[in-house]
Amino acid sequence: MSLIINKESADKVEKILERFVEESGATYVLLTDMGGGMLFESGADVVSYNGDALAVLSAANYAATNEIAKLIDEESFSLLFHRGNNENIHFTKVSPDVLMIVLFKPFLSLGLLRLKIGKIQDEIASLLGK
Amino acid sequence: MATINLKDKSIRIKLVYYGPGRSGKTTNLEYIYNKIQENDEKQKGKMVSIDTNGDRTMFFDFFPIDLGKINGFALKLQLYTTPGQVKYEFTRRLVLKGVDGIVFVADSMASRQEANAQSFENLKENLAFHNKTLSDIKVVFQWNKRDIDENLIPLASVEEMEKTLNSKYGYTSFPASAETGLNVFKTVNYIAKETVKHVIALNDIKKG
Ligand SMILES: Nc1nc2c(ncn2[C@@H]2O[C@H](COP(=O)(O)OP(=O)(O)O)[C@@H](O)[C@H]2O)c(=O)[nH]1
Ligand SMILES: [Mg+2]
Repeated sequence: MSLIINKESADKVEKILERFVEESGATYVLLTDMGGGMLFESGADVVSYNGDALAVLSAANYAATNEIAKLIDEESFSLLFHRGNNENIHFTKVSPDVLMIVLFKPFLSLGLLRLKIGKIQDEIASLLGK
Repeated sequence: MATINLKDKSIRIKLVYYGPGRSGKTTNLEYIYNKIQENDEKQKGKMVSIDTNGDRTMFFDFFPIDLGKINGFALKLQLYTTPGQVKYEFTRRLVLKGVDGIVFVADSMASRQEANAQSFENLKENLAFHNKTLSDIKVVFQWNKRDIDENLIPLASVEEMEKTLNSKYGYTSFPASAETGLNVFKTVNYIAKETVKHVIALNDIKKG
């Protein structure tokens, strides 16, 4: 049971992410599997982030947050987001197996960003589905 | 879950160091990490540890290793440890998500034999949580802390440990010391090689 990403899907996902960064103004976007294995990253600052560590910690953070939701009888939290001074970070489950992490500047609108994420998440999910 | 990217021709596998609290899982990873940093400047992966005050593992330790090419595919290992303490069951489970290979680090101290056995049972339960069994993945045993002076602290013999933990499975095993480095790389090399072979066979990857 492995995730196999073929060339066509990889090309398409990379395109989608590049366009997303361009159109949304996000700093950086990363896709990881729920086990913390980084799948794709895109953005102007790709070299300056440690994508592997970000993927691992985000997947762990996501899973821990889900457990917290269960403890307080919530199915899941609909907004997962941290606000920073220079960078905000937003987490989206795009499929049962894939998590999307978006870094963006605090002056960008969270609502608009979420709209743009909403537009690409299904496509990504189907490209990375089995 | 191994990930195979046919575009950039890479294979990534997830290896988890499992075992009871204080058996030497973190020490194994630290040893490997430090040696790699010394010898290979190209490796840029940082070690990530989520622990309590830089001591006991609370969530996991993690770092990635680039192993070069196998069958034309760039091979990436992701090494994780789990926390051993009972109260961290949830995080232990989480770290096992998508595991491809296990190093079971058993403590050679005589007083920890029961803890080894319990932890191994716990491993099976937590694999079952992810709908997996031992036969779905690769496993190696490491009998750790063989450097300890038996006159100071009683140790279980390798034979005893084989009998209690491994008689049913017959997995490859290494007596080791994460403290001195004895067989630390042997253990990780072995499990990496076996796991990669397993993943390649499962997915019918053509040689390139
Ligand atoms: N003598 C000896 N001590 C060890 C060895 N491996 C680990 N230790 C010690 O055992 C303790 C627990 O090790 P640690 O790696 O934190 O265990 P973990 O809970 O499995 O991550 C530490 O004090 C280590 O220095 C070993 O091979 N020999
Ligand atoms: Mg530890």
